[in-house]
Amino acid sequence: MSVSKGLVDDVLFEFLHAELVSYVLNSSKDGKKGDVTSLEYIGFSSGYRIIERLTKEWPRFKDELETMKFICTDFWSSIYKKQIDNLRTNHQGVYVLHENSFRFLRKISSGRQYLEAAPKFVAFTCGLIRGALANLGLDCTVTAEIQQMPACKFHIQVQKN
Amino acid sequence: MATYYFLIVGHYDNPIFEMEFTSANRETKKEDHRHLTQFIAHAALDLVDEHAWKTGNAYLKTVDKFNNWLVSAFITSSHIRFLLVHEPKNEDGIRNFFSEMYEVYIKYSMNPFYQVDTDIRCAAFERKALFLARKYLTG
Repeated sequence: MSVSKGLVDDVLFEFLHAELVSYVLNSSKDGKKGDVTSLEYIGFSSGYRIIERLTKEWPRFKDELETMKFICTDFWSSIYKKQIDNLRTNHQGVYVLHENSFRFLRKISSGRQYLEAAPKFVAFTCGLIRGALANLGLDCTVTAEIQQMPACKFHIQVQKN
Repeated sequence: MATYYFLIVGHYDNPIFEMEFTSANRETKKEDHRHLTQFIAHAALDLVDEHAWKTGNAYLKTVDKFNNWLVSAFITSSHIRFLLVHEPKNEDGIRNFFSEMYEVYIKYSMNPFYQVDTDIRCAAFERKALFLARKYLTG
């Protein structure tokens, strides 16, 4: 994940991610095809570790909303080169991130043909968000909803205990 | 006769790195204060957390005082706490030491083989800590 303006890094990341998805899903254990859980976990540990580096210059966040705003702006732009298009919340721990043109879905043709295969390409990102929030002190579950390619919605539910 | 005891504390209040720095011109070692300084550092953890809630800064200056020992703290965005138990007051030096130590820690934590909240056992890390201490603390 590059924070520089290097051109090669973007393409490299997309190819690596596509290959990651393909590898994880094709590695069969006991004849059963691999599932997205390991892909999500890869995203989780990446997100967890990268937070230390990305929040270096930032002061600590006072509440959940500030943390979410950081995820939508700086975190997203350093990885996907753009900010989240819309953030909705019910102020009770549920946040929805609207992304009109998700990077990994842009290269797949829009239309209903590949809608079933699309969730595999967002699993890594769901884990990434979950890992980032976990290291910032928020335990949560992240799911993704794809209605229309390449738009995507990430539902974040913060656990309160 | 300046001694500094540096401690990095993980999320579960477990020490993941500790090191003691003393100034060079100390011929006789009178008493080993190690157990006392470790105790003081752990007792200060509650106060560190309290101060952390009040401010968004990473560097919390002096959070606790015990007899003539002062405890200074630095807390990262991911709630890893750096503590320093020291006798003399040296705010600028300590602030610089903490920021540079933070950079070293970031580089170390980016290693995919390092699991966060586990002990840091790395000769290069220790050497870096010693070098930074000589530069900013013991001088």
